[in-house]
Amino acid sequence: MKHSERLELFENVRARYSVFLTSVLWKLTGDKELFTEAMQYSLFGIWRNVEKLKGEKAGSYIYRIALTANSKAWRNRVGRNGEIPNDPIDPAEDADERLDRAETAAIVRREISRLPRKQARAIVMRYLEQQDYQAIAEKLSCSKAGARSNVSRAMATLKSKLAVLA
Amino acid sequence: MNDDRLEEILNSIGAEEIPAEARKIAQDASNNFNKFLRQPSQPAKPSLLELIMRSRTTKLAAAAVIVIAVLAGLPFLPKNTASVTLAGVAEKLGQVKAIMYRMKMHVTGSMVPGTPQVSQDMESTIIISNDFGMKMEMDMTDPNTGKKTTQQMYVVPDSKLIVMVMPEQKRFTRMEFSDDLLAQMKKQNNDPREIIKQMMGCEYTELGRSTIDGVEVDGFQTTDPTVIGGVGENVTLTLWVDAESWLPVRSEIDFDMGEKMKVHGVVSEFNWDLPVTAEDFKPVIPDDFEPMASGMQMPKISEEGLIEGLRLFAELSGSYPKKLSMMELAQETMGFMTNRDVLEKIKEKIPQARGLDEDELDELDGDEVMMKTMQITKPLQSPGFFYMMLVQDKKEPVYHGETVGPKDIGAVLMRWKNADTEYRVIFGDLSARTVTGEQLAELEKQPPK
Repeated sequence: MKHSERLELFENVRARYSVFLTSVLWKLTGDKELFTEAMQYSLFGIWRNVEKLKGEKAGSYIYRIALTANSKAWRNRVGRNGEIPNDPIDPAEDADERLDRAETAAIVRREISRLPRKQARAIVMRYLEQQDYQAIAEKLSCSKAGARSNVSRAMATLKSKLAVLA
Repeated sequence: MNDDRLEEILNSIGAEEIPAEARKIAQDASNNFNKFLRQPSQPAKPSLLELIMRSRTTKLAAAAVIVIAVLAGLPFLPKNTASVTLAGVAEKLGQVKAIMYRMKMHVTGSMVPGTPQVSQDMESTIIISNDFGMKMEMDMTDPNTGKKTTQQMYVVPDSKLIVMVMPEQKRFTRMEFSDDLLAQMKKQNNDPREIIKQMMGCEYTELGRSTIDGVEVDGFQTTDPTVIGGVGENVTLTLWVDAESWLPVRSEIDFDMGEKMKVHGVVSEFNWDLPVTAEDFKPVIPDDFEPMASGMQMPKISEEGLIEGLRLFAELSGSYPKKLSMMELAQETMGFMTNRDVLEKIKEKIPQARGLDEDELDELDGDEVMMKTMQITKPLQSPGFFYMMLVQDKKEPVYHGETVGPKDIGAVLMRWKNADTEYRVIFGDLSARTVTGEQLAELEKQPPK
């Protein structure tokens, strides 16, 4: 494919998915620095795979790109020092509860970035995008029961990882 | 944690509003990436580039190179004594064993056209001892997040090591430097009084008397670009000296690096009578910090390093760099490293990356590949350092990289003054010869073939 064609395709894909990427990556990172990094990785990912993003599987690829970008951004951050970024906070909450909540949310986010890709996708669809199981099943090309099973496996993995950290 | 609590947290994350700032960051990232893709030599599949551009290691190393370059060129620069007044100041400072000062720098612009503009503030506290070396603590503020990061750098002359410690990353790196660089650093960095001598080696104007923080000062100013060794252009260096004690109080510098970057620096808060011990200069590395890039060496600052760097540049890009001033060379190098063919050539030199496709490259440890890339491309920095040294030493280097290429065997690619009547010449085929002024004039009459 010519460079000019790739550019045009990239622009279309980027415009189509930019709201999705912004929303999902923000919720997955909850932190400006991580978000910036994940967004840049996503743009690289879209550019690199742009030929694959014109068919009906484009949505699936975009999830893959976003989740990989999120994992890379987290890996850069926590791979070295285990630092957890601060979460946006609600000033109305009690200070201790707020801190605890922010810290736990950051840990949950970090653990999502370490989930197997399919489980991460199920969690993102179910909780971060708040989709119902029917919609998840359609996107994952499986039955409704299969979608439930993916979400519960992801929840079990998250719970076991969080239990180790508790 | 029970299911309900986990669900509650996940639902609360899902219900979060996306802040306007996140949308702006996303928009800026898209715009910058678009500009990058529309560059004339954009890569088709920039995996290695991605590693290079995104690596924290690169950012830190790039910052280190800039700091080292500026330190090497900014406050402590050599040369002759010509003015009785300033010479008296230099003499007075002759007894000083160690000094401490603060350096503030503000850098704006973009290293490579199409990449995001930076607006970076750096504040450093520097201690230099004639006996024990140098210690610098630098705070950098991220313009996007306002977050501060700290780096500590130690120059340990006895073991010829530069040690950098990055507390936020819990990492540190040791870089060896050569005898050439040690000699250069001793000449420059270990003698802070040299700022005065350097000013005297340039044409300068006396600004007269003024007051800084209640202290009466006399000002001196130069716009001679050699004062910073060719690192930048449009240079203005101003030095304010205490009118009573004749000790420097403050120096300010403004210069441009390439077309895009502007630097403003202020050196102040001098302490000229600082008691120090060897212990103050011993690198402090906590046990849980991970080493990074061990075995890295600083670029050679020698004719050999110059030739090695020019050869590698030509091998990767097919031509010699257009300019050798530090920042222009860095910009040109970073520019051509976005070229797909160049990246492929570098990739082939990295054993772990050789023959891998894009997805497989993704699975590699980014920092490991990055370090390998930096080792391979390290010689590309030598010409910039060597050229800077020649400028500082007033050896009048002249470089013809814009018109002379690797195939112009007998053409003069670069020359500098060796002695009053002798010149060292590097030819298009990277052979070298020492010639007289007359011979040089003859050689330079010949156009590149």
